[in-house]
Amino acid sequence: MTIDVAHQGGAMPAPRLRRKPNVFQRIVRHWNDYTYIAPALLVMLLVIAFPIYYTIELSFFKTPANLSMDKKIFVGLDNYWAILTSRSFWDVTYNTLIWTVFSTFFAFVLGLGAALALNREFLGRGILRALLLIPYVISAVAASYVWKWLYHSDFGVIGALSVQFGFTDRPINFLDNIYTALPAIIVVNIWKEFSFAMIMLLAGLQTVPDQLLRAAQVDGANAWQRFWHITMPHLKGVSMVTILLLVVTNLNSFIIPWIMTGGGPAGATDIWITQIYQMAFGRIRFGMASAYSVILFIVMMLLGYFYVKALTRGDEAKVG
Amino acid sequence: MSTQTATPPPRFGPAIPRKRSKKRIGGWRWAGRGILAFLLLFTALPMAWMIITSLKSQLAALQYPPQWWPEEVTFQNYIQLLSPNNEVGQEFLQYFWNSFYVSILSTILGVAVAVPAAYAFSRFRFPGRQFLFFSVLLRNMFPAVVFLMPLFLLMKWLGLVNTHGSLILTYLTFGLPLSIWLLKGFYDNIPVQLEQAARIDGATRFQAFFYIVMPLSSPGIIATGIYAFIMAWNEYVYALTFMNSKDKLTLPVGLQRFFAEYATNWPGLMAASFIMSVPVVVLFLVLQKYFVRALTEGAVKS
Repeated sequence: MTIDVAHQGGAMPAPRLRRKPNVFQRIVRHWNDYTYIAPALLVMLLVIAFPIYYTIELSFFKTPANLSMDKKIFVGLDNYWAILTSRSFWDVTYNTLIWTVFSTFFAFVLGLGAALALNREFLGRGILRALLLIPYVISAVAASYVWKWLYHSDFGVIGALSVQFGFTDRPINFLDNIYTALPAIIVVNIWKEFSFAMIMLLAGLQTVPDQLLRAAQVDGANAWQRFWHITMPHLKGVSMVTILLLVVTNLNSFIIPWIMTGGGPAGATDIWITQIYQMAFGRIRFGMASAYSVILFIVMMLLGYFYVKALTRGDEAKVG
Repeated sequence: MSTQTATPPPRFGPAIPRKRSKKRIGGWRWAGRGILAFLLLFTALPMAWMIITSLKSQLAALQYPPQWWPEEVTFQNYIQLLSPNNEVGQEFLQYFWNSFYVSILSTILGVAVAVPAAYAFSRFRFPGRQFLFFSVLLRNMFPAVVFLMPLFLLMKWLGLVNTHGSLILTYLTFGLPLSIWLLKGFYDNIPVQLEQAARIDGATRFQAFFYIVMPLSSPGIIATGIYAFIMAWNEYVYALTFMNSKDKLTLPVGLQRFFAEYATNWPGLMAASFIMSVPVVVLFLVLQKYFVRALTEGAVKS
């Protein structure tokens, strides 16, 4: 019991000391403990483990359009082969990369700038922070409609302003042009999520010791040097987690591209997720869409590995 | 000794550059203000335009040089959406109510499931604990759209398609990983001695947990509750797929169906978007501290 108490705070107990009971004995001994997590586990099994398993299973089958799954036909790796050899897959992958990289980069940079600027007391700081966070809180559906209206080809305010200031002669049709559609929706995405990076980094900045910054100032380090050599190293962990979460969110984001352009024009804004949705519920090809999903799973699992690693890094440091 | 005497000069040396660096701070400060001003405009202008548009009549909204401020301010769009006497208002209020009760129920159930689990992960040392904990955290790594197909089939077999039960069951897992993570942090910091004292006084393990530990973790419960509510309120993909009868839709989907049927009524759509944003924004503003905590906890070690 005392050993248990001593380890309450740490993440890794040292089980080597008491290796005697085997796994089954230990499970039986801790039987009561499992009842606490049983409800959570049950829900997770139903809503998460089962879908993962079933997606993988379906990815090897050709599924009938009426969705009676007892009539599905085993096709091995054909679905994967068909996807990886299709030209559209690589176009979509390219779009997905552009979408994810640019959204993440700008959201992070703007978030970092905002966090640094907000990291000192001034009048209205709290209000400003709250205001900047509103886009992150509101529904992506509402945000998409608002921006669709801003980008509107005839009556959109952005087009009208660019004419007013003499950038263009005529309002640009942002969402129907294959060159501007993807950048246009990336801007919306950045608008929606930069404040997430801001709030994470702002919390991270609280961990930068003040004395260290002051000491560096006394030693003659300029603002940039202090930022680069003291603030940034302290923000490394938070930045890692933030960037990973942004990448995952962006890879998974469906609402903004779906509502604003639906993948168009001519597939210019089609990303993996919209493609999967289109395949599954537009063309009712669940098998194919499942194979697509599994490819996405694999990418996610790789990212997930780094996510858990970034999260636990702090724990290990605390124990050691 | 000699090295010690050698150190002072460089210490006093930077006295002049320090002045320069102070000036530089001014420059950085202005850069910071510039960034904030830009972000403020970037954030606020679209929202302002949403509100301005929602106060126009449909005719006024569809003009080429747009009316920067409505020549005639009208609340007609809001009145139409919120009065139960016309068809539009009835539908809208129905969606609003659906969204509300699905979000509330899934939040409450999610917390009820998360609290004991977090407690167990914090206090007990059962086999497989680490593995289970991280597999719970990984839930948010998976995109909703990928889960759609298997869940859609599952709901079909369970007979839950086109019922709110399917949404509540799915939504309650949104907040789960975060709740468990956040609450585990809370329980880790609550001394075990507190419970032990209660148990010596004759409380059962569950009573000690329920009466002593749980009240102490209420900030965490509020934080995760808000997060879960906002996630559920804004959810679109599952609602789009699982619901097919009109009176069962939630707001995000309702909004789309509702305005696609007639020619797009932009002022109406903006008014509806505004009304839809009000509950979450108010909730967020009132309980901001908790929400921020929910977002940042875990990523930041303090």
